[in-house]
Amino acid sequence: MPALQASTENATRPPGQKTRVASVADVSKTYYMGTLAVEVLHGISLDFYGGDYISIMGPSGCGKSTLMNILGCLDRPTTGTYYLGGEDTSELKDDELSLIRGARLGFIFQSYNLIQQLDVLENIEMPLFYQGFSQAYSHRAAYQLAERVGLADRIHHKPYELSGGQQQRVAIARALAMDPLIILADEPTGNLDSRSGMEILDLFDELHEAGKTLILVTHSDELAERTSRRIRLLDGRVEQDERMGV
Amino acid sequence: MNEWVFDSLPPAPESRRHDRRSWFGWRISQITRLGIKSIFSHGLRSMLTVLGIVIGVAAVIAMLAVSEGASFEAQQQFRDLGANNILVKSVKPVEVEETSRLGFGPPQAIVYGLTHADIQTIRDTIPSVSNVISSRIVKKNVWNLGNSMNVDVVGTAVDYPVSRNYGLLGGRFFSDSEMRDHENVVVLSQEAADALFPIENPLGQSIRIDSDYYDVVGIMESEGFSNLGQNQAGASNSAPARVFIPLTSSRSRFGETTTRQTAGGMESETVELHEAVIQVDDQESVIGIGEVIEQILTRRHRDVDYTIEIPLALLRQAEESALRDQIVAGAIAGISLLVGGIGIMNIMLASVTERTREIGIRRALGARKADIITQFLVEAVILSAVGGLIGVVLGITIPFFISTFWGMTTIVTPVAPILAFSISAMIGVIFGIYPSMRAADMDPVEALRHE
Repeated sequence: MPALQASTENATRPPGQKTRVASVADVSKTYYMGTLAVEVLHGISLDFYGGDYISIMGPSGCGKSTLMNILGCLDRPTTGTYYLGGEDTSELKDDELSLIRGARLGFIFQSYNLIQQLDVLENIEMPLFYQGFSQAYSHRAAYQLAERVGLADRIHHKPYELSGGQQQRVAIARALAMDPLIILADEPTGNLDSRSGMEILDLFDELHEAGKTLILVTHSDELAERTSRRIRLLDGRVEQDERMGV
Repeated sequence: MNEWVFDSLPPAPESRRHDRRSWFGWRISQITRLGIKSIFSHGLRSMLTVLGIVIGVAAVIAMLAVSEGASFEAQQQFRDLGANNILVKSVKPVEVEETSRLGFGPPQAIVYGLTHADIQTIRDTIPSVSNVISSRIVKKNVWNLGNSMNVDVVGTAVDYPVSRNYGLLGGRFFSDSEMRDHENVVVLSQEAADALFPIENPLGQSIRIDSDYYDVVGIMESEGFSNLGQNQAGASNSAPARVFIPLTSSRSRFGETTTRQTAGGMESETVELHEAVIQVDDQESVIGIGEVIEQILTRRHRDVDYTIEIPLALLRQAEESALRDQIVAGAIAGISLLVGGIGIMNIMLASVTERTREIGIRRALGARKADIITQFLVEAVILSAVGGLIGVVLGITIPFFISTFWGMTTIVTPVAPILAFSISAMIGVIFGIYPSMRAADMDPVEALRHE
């Protein structure tokens, strides 16, 4: 235990927080375009703790999206290891990875990514559907989540009948459906006007207060200001990693 | 390592697929609903896509119905004519007709056709011929008081009803002794009985032919198949009704010569026998014996003034043509289902490309490759099954119209629609596999980025 503690005792550890939900260890990612190899991430190591509120920032092409995809188990690192909930994801098969995505991760996208043919309730219950929950349980859970994001009166609307802010709230409810370890949000307010953006950020604050772990990828300083840990990437390396308001 | 122990963690993902049965039902119903939605959101496109399947399935069912009907008719005919029978009939030869027209003066009697000697030779030469029922057919007006009718008076043997599978409606057929004694007895066909005796029971009554009276002893059931009458010289298109008298009586009352009125004037002809049903012991040898009979008659007749019909050969022919129909139907089915399948594959590939983003979303939310494959496969099967269903409906309707407007017998067996429908659903699976696999193999990151 002491040896381990020594290795993890750093500035990014929130006070009093013991559980590490995920960590990337010396992760690098190389894309091959024909014969040309482009290394996007150069050996990044980061630990993420339960209940943390993290923003990842950086200019375009710095590798945030790639890091995000790796954290979301949508992509695998070229070298290095990604641990999620104590599991080494590089060992997992495609099907197991799919299940882990659905069970332990919640995704929130810039363009909401709701399925247009399905109504609000069906969109929210989709992760539950793929995890094999019963219809009755899923309906109940989805309704509660819709209530929680303030859309209880819209559960049978289709996404195109909702405003952007409402759609993003559906996406948040969907991300919460499996009570994931980490909620990953990619520019969650990028397509929203400032007022609905604010509302979404307030919702994130609430989730943080409720003990959820959030990782936001963003360009927006306004968004980053709310977070308690700010990671800055530059050219595929961690340039800055600071904890605020301790 | 207790750092990695999480109190609030959900159990391992694998174990979360609990309540499998109800979940399976939910998944299938969800996926099916989604598939139907996406098919109906592109109504016209989907219709055009399944057209190949529709045509294929409909064509197969309709063709099989027609061929089934034809072979049913052939079997019906076969049953009526008897499996062990060979039918030999007299036909007026063409040359004789011409020479009789050229001559001047009083009309000469034309002599043609089968003779008693022919029949005797056949009986003597071929041992497996068990019985021969020879008949003379003479056109006469028959009378019952004021009611008269033009009929074929068939002078025949006692075994006639047995040889042709005709049953009696009432009374009896004439007997051996009546045959021997040249008695004036008659058995009416149902048509003749109805026309001559509209009210009273004809049994025990008598009818008049020429100047002689004949006692009615029996009534035959309606002849289902009476092509014998049609081939008979002078027969009109619709076979006239028949009455049956002993062959001996026919010869002694009407003589060997018959005179008939034609458009050109009076014409006489001498025909000993108009038809003969030759019964054979063994069904296997019927066709061979038919050939032997043909040889015998060729030797004995200068002109071809006879025809030989073998019901078994007709049946074989019908079976052959039914088989040919089925092969043609199968080929049409194969080609149009192949084309239909390619159409479905094409549209499924388009659908996969269109819904790349949706696939990415689903993968991000936990869908496994198998889930994606199932979704697109179900959609392809729904598409082809809808086509198959329309095809089945058309395929059942078309034979109905064929039999209504062309009077052909068509029979839709339950096997054809079921088979055609299952094949069309299978086409959906076969041609849906590749597009579904392509959907499942998409990189989730790429798929999510897709516009």
